Amino acid sequence: MPLIRNTAAKSAPDVPSDVLTGLKSASIDERWSAARAAGAPAIPALAEALSHESDARVREAIFTAFARIGTRESALAVMQYLRADDASIRTGALDSLRSMPRAAEASMLMLLSDDDPDVRLLSCELARAMNNSEAARLLCEVLERDSEANVCAAAVDVLAEIADENALPALSRCATRFPNDPFLAFAVKIAVGRLRSVSANPRD
Amino acid sequence: MVFTEARRYFVERRVDERMAATNAPSFAGYFALVRGNIDSEVEKLINAFTVNETYFYREDYQLACMSADLLNERLRNKAFGESLRIWSIPCSTGEEPYSIAIWLLENWPQVDEHDVEIVGSDIDTDVLEAARAGVFGKRAMTRLSPELVGKYFGPTGPDQWQILDDLRQSVRFTAANVVERTDTRPHGLFDIIFCRNLLIYFDDKSRRVAAENLYESLAPGGYICLGHSESMSRISPLFEVCRFADAIVYRRPLGVKRD
Repeated sequence: MPLIRNTAAKSAPDVPSDVLTGLKSASIDERWSAARAAGAPAIPALAEALSHESDARVREAIFTAFARIGTRESALAVMQYLRADDASIRTGALDSLRSMPRAAEASMLMLLSDDDPDVRLLSCELARAMNNSEAARLLCEVLERDSEANVCAAAVDVLAEIADENALPALSRCATRFPNDPFLAFAVKIAVGRLRSVSANPRD
Repeated sequence: MVFTEARRYFVERRVDERMAATNAPSFAGYFALVRGNIDSEVEKLINAFTVNETYFYREDYQLACMSADLLNERLRNKAFGESLRIWSIPCSTGEEPYSIAIWLLENWPQVDEHDVEIVGSDIDTDVLEAARAGVFGKRAMTRLSPELVGKYFGPTGPDQWQILDDLRQSVRFTAANVVERTDTRPHGLFDIIFCRNLLIYFDDKSRRVAAENLYESLAPGGYICLGHSESMSRISPLFEVCRFADAIVYRRPLGVKRD
């Protein structure tokens, strides 16, 4: 009896050849155009192209393509650029991830536990675009355990905007963890004041 | 304007947008801005509530910028006899593209020396039909002087006017969704795009895609005018900021920079 093949397995969509050749073209316009036309099957090709793309405009189109595709795979492809030496590439990656909050959210725990404090600090910014209660929960964990005052300060800044009163205990404990950091104490004081004010007057 | 309880969310969103645009720390702080009409905040707040109810000569400082600077800048980069192309997207019921046409006829001395193509596009085909008909009520006309109304419109009823045939035929209306590249590309390259008070309603992803579509729709060196509370710099690094006497606008760079 012949076995019927799983159609999903045999028909994985191909990347259009013009996208593949376009991403490798010497012409900036062709690379830009290919990045703009690329869909989910082209994620590996986009990641490969981004790794050596020298033109800022094409990089931007690739970052937008990842955001447009918006899958966990595209978020993973972008995340590594949060540790790029070039500030414009780091910002491009951050903006791209911010534009796909649901895809990025799935990897937030990993990002907030990264060995590189700069990556953890930037990742706090991603929480602004996330669901508020989940973002508050993740950022409170940062306040409780992160060893870097700057990372905690970034989390405090976002928590002040999210204004979830459940964060108040973690904020207070964080200030006591870094007694010699006057800036963090100041940031926590501002955030606590804002959270209390919002909780007392939700429309203000 | 009357908003019932059912429209509470609509009102809250508009007020939130204005609070964000003015960096107001609280509603009380923002309300003080409105009460004092600081930086014409009353008009800005009203504008925020009239998304689909636009009017002639809205934010006309950008039209002044167009006739004083943008068109002349564009002409420097065009071959003799090449036409100028202006895109109004979204054009709603036509007030903006017709305003551009009237403004040019009234305020740009070189208007007779150049061919100017004006295209109005919107995702909503109902408003496009209305735009083609060119019939407007009193509210849309409030910023036009009686002289301009008499010159470019004919009365069609009580408090209702239709724009003259010549002017109606000078604007081409098309359906287009600015987020869809397959919609925007067939329109070709423009010298100036008016895309006002649209991107603020998109999420980050759609804004990025729209910004790239608009970039592709501009000729190198072409300009884009956004609404007063919008900033392209916060959406995309593709454009240059250009400060002119009448307005701040954005430009597609003339040449491609290589790293």
